[in-house]
Amino acid sequence: MVTKIVQLVLLPVLGFVIGIFFLGLYRKIMARIQWRYGPPLLQPVIDIIRLLFQRGVSHGIIFDFGLVLSLAGALTITLFLPFAQWCPLKGSGGLLVILYLMLLMPLGMELSGGSAANPNSSIGISRKFILALGYEVPLLLILLSVMTHYKTISLFEVVLSQQHSAWALLSWPLALPGIAYVLILPAVLGVRPFDITTAPQEISYGPMVEYGGKYLAFAHIHHALSLFIGISLFVNLFLGGAANPVVFFVKMFVVFTAGVCVNAVFPRLRIEQAVSYLWKWPTAVALLGLIIVSLVK
Amino acid sequence: MANKYSLNAVYFCTGCGIIEIPPSITARWDAERFGIIPVATPRQGNLFMITGYVSLKTLRAIIRTYEQMPDPKYTVGFGSCPINGGMYWDSYNTIKHLDKYIPVDGWIAGCMPRPEAVFIGVTHLWTLIDKDMANGYIRYREHYDQYRGNQEKLFGKLDWPPLYATATAQKEMAA
Repeated sequence: MVTKIVQLVLLPVLGFVIGIFFLGLYRKIMARIQWRYGPPLLQPVIDIIRLLFQRGVSHGIIFDFGLVLSLAGALTITLFLPFAQWCPLKGSGGLLVILYLMLLMPLGMELSGGSAANPNSSIGISRKFILALGYEVPLLLILLSVMTHYKTISLFEVVLSQQHSAWALLSWPLALPGIAYVLILPAVLGVRPFDITTAPQEISYGPMVEYGGKYLAFAHIHHALSLFIGISLFVNLFLGGAANPVVFFVKMFVVFTAGVCVNAVFPRLRIEQAVSYLWKWPTAVALLGLIIVSLVK
Repeated sequence: MANKYSLNAVYFCTGCGIIEIPPSITARWDAERFGIIPVATPRQGNLFMITGYVSLKTLRAIIRTYEQMPDPKYTVGFGSCPINGGMYWDSYNTIKHLDKYIPVDGWIAGCMPRPEAVFIGVTHLWTLIDKDMANGYIRYREHYDQYRGNQEKLFGKLDWPPLYATATAQKEMAA
């Protein structure tokens, strides 16, 4: 009981700390790839402290509420994702709850950005929903094949069965969904080939255009958490989770670094290019994987 | 302290000066070492940099951008033209003294200054922030009547509401 309460408090904090660390590292690695020295590793923390002390402008109740909603969604998901062996809510819902709650994060952000009534944020919102439509189809197929193969909806049991056999990415029937997930991972994380939603050069950060002060600080925290969630879900589903937290962190770190390298070299796609890519290759691979998984069973 | 090392810059490049900014934020001089990154919207920034000459038309946009930025915010004029008109000293539609219309915390003189001068300017701004002397946003609030008066003298009636309650507005409210 006590350990469960400790985990309930600890996991969101851990997700935040790792997410912030990744954000700092992201800027540093990007700088080194571009032959720059780069900011200090703690720059996101400095930014958040500065923003919390700056005076923000609100645009109404929905503007505040949407941000809180998306932050609450992100914090709740961290309780459903196993971090190594820590998963306080492993008995309830599993992957289905994660799928529902993952929808809450962009939804809250769009509610909040939409009430600011800025044309840039409207464009960003429509782009975000179209992009989500693009990657949710292969994501659902992938999750369906994982659930069919392991005959469970619990993410914790998926991790356990992978630890008894091999990683799902390297085992035969699940390799195809794994490859499909690798192909859509940048879209789920919203990094460079798919950073259409928050394109600063085109639409000034899209939904975040009117955020300033503490609103932007919370948006940064939300971004850090969503980075943690996207990578953690992939590690749990296809890289076999981990028996201890350090190994889990190392796996997350490797996936993250690969993502940053992709982010550094690819230019941004247009929205229709992104959707036609997402509905072509990852969906085809995921569909083929689902058919094979259901036949092999 | 956090304000000092996390300057998110809104660059207002009026005409010249846009050439000097990209080298200072990209690989050659890399302003991100000091925590300075350009942002695309005034709501997210706290450093306002005005590079090059200010014409009557751009001054409107500058004032509105400045008023949209959240406190605390710092303004830096870049180049000779915002200081005293520079080579446009006798032009009929160029603003000669930018600090009559919005408060400016520091100047980087030159036509144009080299990107190194931007970083010297940044270290000077750090000193000013440490000594609480970069208080332009406080001066703007305290002397808003004068700034608004100067703006109205130039433009006639302004088509946006005052940011703070002016003395005349307060008198009307009382009456």
